Amino acid sequence: MEIPYEVAPRRDTGLFNSKLGIWLFLASEVMLFGGLFSAYIFLRVGVIEGVDAPWPWGINVHKTFVVLGFVNTLVLIISSVFVVFGWIALKERNWGRFQMFMYLTVACAAIFMALKTVEYRSKLTQHHDIKLLDNSVLEGKILDKTFDVPFEGNSVEFNLAGSAPGFIHDIEGEFPVMKATWKEYATVDGERKIVDKEAEIRSAKEFKSWFVRARTKATSDLIAERKRYRSEVAAKNKALYKEEEFTNPKGPVVDTKAILTAESAFQLHSRRRQVSPIERSDKGDSMTYLDGSTVKGTAGDDRIKFEPHYLDMQLVPIHKQKDSMVWDVLGDSHMKDAWYENREVAYEHMEEYYEGRKKEIPESMLRGYYINIQSLHGKEHAKPFWQEFFDEFKAGAGIGGGDHSDHAEHSHDQGDHEHHDDHAEEEAHAAADDHGAHNDHGAHSVVMIPRDKIKFFNSHGPRNNNYYAIYFTMTALHGLHVIGGALVLLYFVVFGKPLFLRNPEHLANRVEVGGLFWHFVDLIWIFLFPLMYLL
Amino acid sequence: MSELAAHSHGEVHDDHDHHEAPFWKQYVFSTDHKVIGIQYGFTALLFLAFGFFLMMVMRWSIAYPDRAVPVLSDWPWFQAWLDNEGRVTGDLYNMFGAMHGTIMVFLGIVPLAFGAFGNYVTPLQIGAPDMAFPRLNMASFWCFLLGGVLMFVSFFLPSGAAKVGWTNYSPLATTTDLNFSSQFWTGQTQWLVGMVFLISSSLLGAVNFIATIINLRCRGMTWMRLPFFVWAMMVTGFLLLLAFPPLEVAAIMQIMDRLGGTSFFVPTGLNVNGLAFDAAGGGSPLLYQHLFWFLAHPEVYVLILPAIAIVSEVIPCNTRKPLWGYKSMVYAVMALGFLAFIVWAHHMYMTGMGPAISTFFQTTTVLISVPSVILITSLLISMWGGSIRFNPAMLFATAFIPMFGIGGLTGLPLAFNLPDLHLHDTYYVIGHFHYVVAPGTIFGLFAGIYHWFPKHTGRQMNTMLGHLHFWPSLICMNGIFAPMFLQGMAGFHRRAFDGGAAYEQISSSILAEPGTFVAGVFEKLRIVGEGQPVEMIDLNIVTSTFAWLLALAQVPFIINLFASVYVGKKVTSDNPWDATTLEWATPTPPPHGNFTTEPVAYRGPYEYSVPGADTDFTPQFEDDPGIVKKEPAKRDDKVSSEDSTKA
Amino acid sequence: MADSPEEIAKHKKLYAAIGIWLLVFSCVALALGKITWLDFGPPGATWEDILIGLSVSVVKASLVALIFMHLNHEKGLIYKTLLFTFLFFLGLMSLTLFALADPIRESFDTLNTVKGMLNRPN
Ligand code: HEM
Ligand SMILES: [Cu+2]
Repeated sequence: MEIPYEVAPRRDTGLFNSKLGIWLFLASEVMLFGGLFSAYIFLRVGVIEGVDAPWPWGINVHKTFVVLGFVNTLVLIISSVFVVFGWIALKERNWGRFQMFMYLTVACAAIFMALKTVEYRSKLTQHHDIKLLDNSVLEGKILDKTFDVPFEGNSVEFNLAGSAPGFIHDIEGEFPVMKATWKEYATVDGERKIVDKEAEIRSAKEFKSWFVRARTKATSDLIAERKRYRSEVAAKNKALYKEEEFTNPKGPVVDTKAILTAESAFQLHSRRRQVSPIERSDKGDSMTYLDGSTVKGTAGDDRIKFEPHYLDMQLVPIHKQKDSMVWDVLGDSHMKDAWYENREVAYEHMEEYYEGRKKEIPESMLRGYYINIQSLHGKEHAKPFWQEFFDEFKAGAGIGGGDHSDHAEHSHDQGDHEHHDDHAEEEAHAAADDHGAHNDHGAHSVVMIPRDKIKFFNSHGPRNNNYYAIYFTMTALHGLHVIGGALVLLYFVVFGKPLFLRNPEHLANRVEVGGLFWHFVDLIWIFLFPLMYLL
Repeated sequence: MSELAAHSHGEVHDDHDHHEAPFWKQYVFSTDHKVIGIQYGFTALLFLAFGFFLMMVMRWSIAYPDRAVPVLSDWPWFQAWLDNEGRVTGDLYNMFGAMHGTIMVFLGIVPLAFGAFGNYVTPLQIGAPDMAFPRLNMASFWCFLLGGVLMFVSFFLPSGAAKVGWTNYSPLATTTDLNFSSQFWTGQTQWLVGMVFLISSSLLGAVNFIATIINLRCRGMTWMRLPFFVWAMMVTGFLLLLAFPPLEVAAIMQIMDRLGGTSFFVPTGLNVNGLAFDAAGGGSPLLYQHLFWFLAHPEVYVLILPAIAIVSEVIPCNTRKPLWGYKSMVYAVMALGFLAFIVWAHHMYMTGMGPAISTFFQTTTVLISVPSVILITSLLISMWGGSIRFNPAMLFATAFIPMFGIGGLTGLPLAFNLPDLHLHDTYYVIGHFHYVVAPGTIFGLFAGIYHWFPKHTGRQMNTMLGHLHFWPSLICMNGIFAPMFLQGMAGFHRRAFDGGAAYEQISSSILAEPGTFVAGVFEKLRIVGEGQPVEMIDLNIVTSTFAWLLALAQVPFIINLFASVYVGKKVTSDNPWDATTLEWATPTPPPHGNFTTEPVAYRGPYEYSVPGADTDFTPQFEDDPGIVKKEPAKRDDKVSSEDSTKA
Repeated sequence: MADSPEEIAKHKKLYAAIGIWLLVFSCVALALGKITWLDFGPPGATWEDILIGLSVSVVKASLVALIFMHLNHEKGLIYKTLLFTFLFFLGLMSLTLFALADPIRESFDTLNTVKGMLNRPN
């Protein structure tokens, strides 16, 4: 028997199999994205004011990104139209037109993904946040490779029977020549004895083979000792006959510690999650990895070169803002003035709204984003919007390197525009609104921020806060759907000709099904765009 | 998706015609629903055995926390996880506990119940040649296998397998095993990756099942002529389809937390081992629990519905009576499917939910017991006054009813937050849900194996061995799980690797005094010393002993299963049980494409002992079985004959 | 979805028109998000803005689902499936929020303790 209803719809359900299948699949997709949207709302609503990082409001989103997102919305809508037209072309049995529309759709998908890539890159490499110990947050750009913990090591101590020591991946540059010392059991003159061992290690490869051998030996030593110990206990138990009276002495202690001593100091750049910060900062002469290995040496210069653009004081209680540590860090009274000036304007705007309604400004609003996050660089638009967009786009696309000093000088050139004082308020308002703009008064200044004043720092990548986390998760998942859908449509148009000649209705069905999926992808974006970029 | 759109059609049939397909295509990469069903079945049985093995080690640790594990302590892998004295360590117990739960639920029961029985029986019962999307079906199996293999392999990673319970709650799940340099190759992460595969597999499977049932019913197979099995499978399919995605979301988010450094489930200010955890914070561990239980409650119905489905096929067949209340059962199962989605937070009473929301969840939870009771009562009444054939299948099916009943009734106290305050996370809960899934579901599945075995092999399983399998299993199951209720009510907490050493002092008046009957038995069995009071904790030994005996009780089954394929009594007809549903209309074993002639359903599925009929069964598929028909064979007015013969 | 040429021509017009409407609504959404005098309620993204912004999305989504995905032509079966899917989605979202909004807060106040601790500069 053949499987029925593969092409023609079944009368009572009105569906052919794959259409039914895709609708069911889409139902589960609704739940998938539904779960994510629920998570989005749960996380956003669940922010504990004054404790969790606040959810950035839409105005916080860089203008450039909004434009990219908007263009992507248009691209997806247009591609959706192309898909239906492609399907209609098939219904009219017009292969040429079908082909054209399908290729156009796939091209739209490619544009979508390209813009997405630009956006991702820009977020991940061009924008950073630094949260100081008192919860004030500086937004701007980190200018050197400071994400890792720098440390200059001389020797390493670790447990051979434990997990592979992680430091080996973190060594910068040349592998140091190291001397390894450890202990092993060996049979000397028919007697089991602990002997000292030594080896010289010159490369990561040598380390690996040495480690595998030494670990195998250490583990088997450990196992053999335990076995021996157990049989001894059993024998004693037997002799004593009654278990209860036998108290277990401590088990065998097998020393599986190994020490690597380097001839010359080596540089480590370790991932922050892998090392324990307390051990490092206490004395600065040793650093412990979470895998238990300890490196001895000296802590490297742990300061971050940073170009601040914005200051976010939402998490700092209002009465503490005046003497927040951020002002020391910035060290430039000009930036403080600019910040307060902007803040004042935003405050007035807020007052205007509430006084018009004869209400007090609620505490949450005073502590909130609108008032407490302001530019550190005055009110003037340094560059016209399109140029800024273009720069950001270039940086995101990885064109032209985006050299920092260049950039700073550039903005300096343009910085000294005259002030239109009479328009000040209006412009300040715009500045508060369009947070994305670099409102330079002069050049961006560069500050060095000592690491021990920092609670947390990150690019605008998924780690930054829950907004970015869910932004990246959802858009990446959506992006995968775009790629998947485009591949299927591409498959139809590239390999569909024989089926078209044999059974065009069947191909039309397939395209309809693929199209349903494609529209669904569009539909998800219709919600993602406002939730991620606007609101 | 690409599978759906690209592969669901035409080409599949090209290899229908030449039956000389190469071995690997016929048995390994087959698209035949029956082969896939068998593949699912065997893989699932292996995983069940493995999960059972993990449990036996755990039971040792609970019963004799101070003694070395016998036998295993010499195995190299175990050496690394046992302590110096060869005893089970907390890490090992946690790993085995978490993986026992995961493997039993996601790799044992669901694939056996839904994957194997659903795949094998559903298309046969609705008179379809195969599933609607055979290739998708195959993809679903391989996806499942990949997930299973990842889970299994994770035991052999340096970190060992996942250790934080089958619930994998954050933030513990996020912060465990952070000290390994490759975060991807840790048990915790592999658990999540494995889950993503298993979930994807279930989703593909669910799409396939529902589409098959809706669109491939044969001529005359109207909705109310579907066997109850098919209805239950469809509801199960919907549960999987709509409840699994949120867990997939949770798994993806947890992967992001572990590998991408996000803090979806990491609250602000989290400290791990006294160190500030390097994450932004602001996440919510509760969100994980919501997403998890949104799946995991419907999941328990995924575990139980197929068993009820099997039992409701076996019982009418062996009592020679129609299924009592077929229609009410159908509506009950639909109601159950609906309610299953809005009760999940009864697992979360202890998370600080306020009175309003917990009232809501208590209400829905109590409501859902109504359809469950309808199902179980209908089955019970179905047996009333029947002339019952107690073959092994029927024995298991019969035992299923009280076992599931105990499991269900003991769930009621847990539905209310006040008693749950006391019972939450104790052995009472373990006893409760194991009564549902172990003597409940597993007995149902055994019934199914005994019942449909002749269909596939053409031979009967041995009845004697069947009895040898059933009776000890029944006794052991109760010996294991009944004491857990007592312990739980006395306050024993679950997940305690030392068997609850902290609860050593808990006695109970029923057990405590020397001189009582129980104490006497305990003394005789050397579970306690002479004159010593019997404590709650001594029940651990009883439970564990029954658990190991249960393993022995499965030996007859294993022998029976394999030997009967070769030496079992040959069946003399395609319908050895004189059953009425469509799967018995196929040749034995059913060929690729299932039916030799186009099947038509002429009547309802359970026409046993119809008054005036020649035989005591009137199959769905026989046009004129020699009876005075009560109603003319009504064809589905909406399905015209030319429609179903086309294509 | 009849297949006659006139019908198809009519459909083409419809699809193009819907496409244009969708583009228009996208611009509306952008304007709502970005133009100051379209900022309803207090300054910033408040629930008023979110409600209005999302309604625009709902309109767009319905257009896509009904016209492009032919839901307006489908039979009841799919509606039923989608209806239940949607209900469960709403359940998931609303009940989790409900649980979030109804915590036990009585004699102890963990929240403020935590707040106090976190706001203390080290
Ligand atoms: C048939 C014999 C079985 C026995 C004797 C058994 C025994 C156990 C034991 C001793 C525990 C651990 C209790 C604790 O320490 O908290 C446990 C946990 C569990 N079992 Fe079973 N089990 C059996 C079958 C099953 C089956 C068939 C399933 C699933 C469908 C299952 C699912 C679970 C789950 C989900 C847990 C909880 C794991 C966790 O704490 O994360 N078990 N079982
Ligand atoms: Cu539940």
